[in-house]
Amino acid sequence: MTVLPVPTSGGAPLLAVEGLEQSFGGIMALAGISFQAPEGLIYAIIGPNGAGKTTLFNALCGFYQPSAGSIRFDGHELRGLPPYRIAALGMARTFQNLQLFFNMTVIENVMVGCHLRARTGLLAAALRLPSVRREEQRLRTWASEALELCDLTDRAEQPAGALPYGLMKRVEIARALAAKPRLLLLDEPAAGLNDTETLALRELITRIRASGVTVLLVEHHMPLVMGVSDQLLVLDYGSVLAEGTPAEIQADPRVVAAYLGGAVQYAV
Amino acid sequence: MLDQLFQFLVTGITVGSLYALVGLGFALIYNASDVVNFAQGEFVMLGAMIAIALVGAGLPLVLAAIAATLLTIVAGLLLERFAIEPAKGASVVTTIIITIGAAIFLRGVALLLWGKDFHSLPPFSGEVPIQLGGATVLPQSLWVLGVTVLLVALVRAFFNRTLPGKALLACSFNRIAAQAVGINVRVMLRLAYGLSAGLGAIAGILIAPITFSSYEAGVMLGLKGFSAAIVGGIGNPMGAVAGGVLLGLLEALGAGLISSGYKDAIAFLFVLLVLFFSPTGLFGHKIAERV
Amino acid sequence: MRLAGFHVFAALVVLLAVLFPDNYFVTVVGASAGLHVILAVGLNLLMGYAGQISLGHAAFFGIGAYASAILTTRFGWPGLLAMATGLLAAGVIAWLLARPILRLRGHYLAMATLGFGIIIHVVMVQATRWTGGPDGLAGVPPLNLLGWSVEGDFQWYGVIMAAMLLAVWLSLNLVDSQAGRALRAVHGSEFAAQMMGVDTARAKTQVFVVSALFAAFAGSLFAHQQAFVSPDSFNLTISVELVTMVVLGGMASTFGAACGAIALTLLHQGLVVFEDYEMLIHGALLMAVMIFMPQGLFVGLSQGTRRVWRVLSRRRISLPSTDLTD
Repeated sequence: MTVLPVPTSGGAPLLAVEGLEQSFGGIMALAGISFQAPEGLIYAIIGPNGAGKTTLFNALCGFYQPSAGSIRFDGHELRGLPPYRIAALGMARTFQNLQLFFNMTVIENVMVGCHLRARTGLLAAALRLPSVRREEQRLRTWASEALELCDLTDRAEQPAGALPYGLMKRVEIARALAAKPRLLLLDEPAAGLNDTETLALRELITRIRASGVTVLLVEHHMPLVMGVSDQLLVLDYGSVLAEGTPAEIQADPRVVAAYLGGAVQYAV
Repeated sequence: MLDQLFQFLVTGITVGSLYALVGLGFALIYNASDVVNFAQGEFVMLGAMIAIALVGAGLPLVLAAIAATLLTIVAGLLLERFAIEPAKGASVVTTIIITIGAAIFLRGVALLLWGKDFHSLPPFSGEVPIQLGGATVLPQSLWVLGVTVLLVALVRAFFNRTLPGKALLACSFNRIAAQAVGINVRVMLRLAYGLSAGLGAIAGILIAPITFSSYEAGVMLGLKGFSAAIVGGIGNPMGAVAGGVLLGLLEALGAGLISSGYKDAIAFLFVLLVLFFSPTGLFGHKIAERV
Repeated sequence: MRLAGFHVFAALVVLLAVLFPDNYFVTVVGASAGLHVILAVGLNLLMGYAGQISLGHAAFFGIGAYASAILTTRFGWPGLLAMATGLLAAGVIAWLLARPILRLRGHYLAMATLGFGIIIHVVMVQATRWTGGPDGLAGVPPLNLLGWSVEGDFQWYGVIMAAMLLAVWLSLNLVDSQAGRALRAVHGSEFAAQMMGVDTARAKTQVFVVSALFAAFAGSLFAHQQAFVSPDSFNLTISVELVTMVVLGGMASTFGAACGAIALTLLHQGLVVFEDYEMLIHGALLMAVMIFMPQGLFVGLSQGTRRVWRVLSRRRISLPSTDLTD
């Protein structure tokens, strides 16, 4: 079974993307993206629809194979690796279109999230060896911890599909956290949430950062993004438009013109 | 040698036309409902057996053929109305099992009515084989080819030029959107079943003079028709036709050149190979999923 | 208790043998049902839990059976060794087939497995020198379990029931483990499962192999029990029956699959009396059950019993309505 890697020494950015290109047939979805996400920060990626944000995520996770460029995560080159190997290196993500396991309960979903921390194989499972029994206990405990971090403890035994939409999104986050990732990719976590839920989400993301996980966030909800992020990357038509702190980005005329509009200033 | 090859070609296209018609039936119902109708082969069997029974009762061939086709269409409509419609919200797998149940039911009815004997129809225009090039062609084969070409052209025109046909296609692309623009999906479904049953029946009547029909005749035919639809890319009606002809050709060539005992294995090996190299059939839409 | 249902099931099996040791219905039909349960439970792992479909499962059943039959009759191998070889053959074939086939989805996957099943069947019929052709192979010697030769209906009931309980136990364990959850995750969402570190291609291959092993195991037992194998027992109809058992019982439930297997076995027994009407009634019943109990017999029956229970208990504890308004 896989073993989680020992983190490299501090100083180098956790994620370093260089000249990333992604084309589909004739369409250049990503036209040479370069940026660095330092460890321990919340790094947001914003931009109009079609700018390439989710494509970038999919390329980082290994669902798409980039046509050029490099992705270095914790010193490892990610290009060419399938998603399950990238996950083993310490990356986790949530999905824009909810990808919960609706055929399982909430806690079972999160226990799957612990997959990389599990050791026992098929044969041991079939024979219900003592190691399996002990591991089931451990997995349950870990899953419960992740659920607690996300305020979902009372929903543990419910079928995942029975929850309200906002809570389902939180289950996805809990599931991603259960793997104890070093980098968490959140793909539009606030989509479909009301204001109260969005506030709770903001709190949760802050808690996640406090626990030592680096967060990469794609989001359209500007108050959330500006309020919670440490650094921003603005994409437009598959290229990097600007990079900087929320204050810098809001002041950048190019970003205002392409995406933000000048009407509102968000609290940083 | 070339003569032999030509002979195989003729056999292959004849059989392939049959598979094409059955495959077309599969594609129609799949388009309207995402369901593979495993009773499709039984429509073929029913068409043949009813025609045989009517001819045996004294009816002239043409009338028997028409009556058999109509009766089979009725069977198809009844199947849709009483077995498929009540299970409207069921999963695809459940509905497939229902069609399997229907297939068994229809086979049981045939067994009851006509026993286990083999029957056949008199050929439409005599038994004197025609010499074409170096090959011997049964006149019935020409009937099979001719009627198939006609039917495929009609179905093609139906889809491309008539409103009900386009509505049926719309259902296959996006059922909810089709409903949103006012297409009565239920009627479309019934239309699809009726049409498939009709196509199947005609195929059965066409082939009855060449092969022997029995209550079980629908099973392998249904399978080959399904294979044709898959090879062509399920949901693509013209693809099913192409797939059927291809399948028939390869099967005849395999039977002739390699071994006739293994011909079914060769046919399905071909299908497997197609799927390995083209996971959604030769002309099927690629399945895309948004993440 | 985690395995409460299993213990009840096992108790029933033993009870039947104790109460009706000479009853044909229990020993012979029961044994047949037992083999079907092993097949259905294995297929359920593939279909119900991993969400794949296989319309050619009878092929693996046949590979196990023919391996045992050919190796014991033509080469004089001991039964257990032949069985192990059959398991190995089925496992290897499943493993080789899995990668290319399990890339396919939905109806394409169904077609590929169907095609595989038919190819194996044709080989059984055509390769007469090895398989005995359409007439099959007779004279399969009795199974020898470390000195004890299994003979007679009652002994076979015992052996098959033990094998069945083993299969059910293994399946229950698998489902309720991290490996089992990973499988169900593949069914739930392959993308998400990949992001959790699950090698989905490998997981699907593993479950395909496991279900093939279950089937081959049943096949070997079948060959010795019948002392005869023929292609008729491993054709498409059987494959479809197996899928029907799994769906009928309710997918994603080990006991559901067992339920479906037992129900369908009993159905066939019961229908024999109808002779010519058997097929017709079989088809009609199948349609009726799937229409009215689409989640399968197991769920349908348990829901039905719950409803009946609620009605009964309501009659016993009905409160006088006036208490609340005063």
